[in-house]
Amino acid sequence: MKILIVDDSSTMRRIIINTLSRIGYSDVVEGDNGKSGLEKLAQGGIEMIITDWNMPEMDGLEFVQTVRTQNAAIPILMVTTNAAKEDIVQALQSGVNNYVVKPFTPETLKEKIESLLG
Amino acid sequence: MDQSEIDALLKAAGTQPAPSTPGALAGHEVEGRVISEIDAVTAVTERETNKVMDQLDLISQLVNRQQTLITEVMKHSGAQDPAVQEAIHQILSAAKDIQDKVFGAMDLMQFQDITRQKLERIVFHLRQIHDYIVELLGTGLKSEGERASISRTIQNTGTTPDEKKADADAVVEEFLRSKNKG
Repeated sequence: MKILIVDDSSTMRRIIINTLSRIGYSDVVEGDNGKSGLEKLAQGGIEMIITDWNMPEMDGLEFVQTVRTQNAAIPILMVTTNAAKEDIVQALQSGVNNYVVKPFTPETLKEKIESLLG
Repeated sequence: MDQSEIDALLKAAGTQPAPSTPGALAGHEVEGRVISEIDAVTAVTERETNKVMDQLDLISQLVNRQQTLITEVMKHSGAQDPAVQEAIHQILSAAKDIQDKVFGAMDLMQFQDITRQKLERIVFHLRQIHDYIVELLGTGLKSEGERASISRTIQNTGTTPDEKKADADAVVEEFLRSKNKG
């Protein structure tokens, strides 16, 4: 299971990678904004996406909208500090399958990933 | 050390000293400086947080190595005494506790990203205050174009991160329910 992690914070990417490795997912690819995320996705083999919202160049929402024009099936989990109800709804309407508000616990991330893959 | 010595040191290090006279900079220059200083704080915090993460990674690897070595000792013929086995089990249990604490500390490093976004929110509000004052004084000077993506998000959504803490799970469930009904 290859997972694409898109976040402009290298610290956050490390934390997510570390959490994924603890729950059995060690095959990961990284992007630091939506644009680089699309480039990584185009290389193929990605089965799931975990993305932040607030990023330079191309934010997570635009990234998700672009991905959905090419791939309707790939599970997308948004992990962000944006916690307002209207933000969550906007993300879901854009094609996000589930949503985690930072800071998260490893248990929450595990639960969300498993529910998306289940 | 007096201010001129500090300034000389900063100059030697390639850093511009702050002006000694308050108000010597134009409004947009002050704004630019505030933004660049906040950027610097963010960059340094991220770099240092990654150093802490490196150390935690190292501790984690050392504990893993220790667990492997102790597990090997357990199999040794000379370690089959029940009291020795019990002691080894306790050591392994303590090692697991250390590993859990290390992972917990790594998870806590999320504060860096959250703090960064809070700082970007401050920049956004500073820019708004700056534009308001400029408009009030009628100088026609507007703040420079959007720098941080978060500013764009704030403008698009009208909200700032963690301004309102909705129960994300409840919102997702409600959305999926209404989608399934439709």
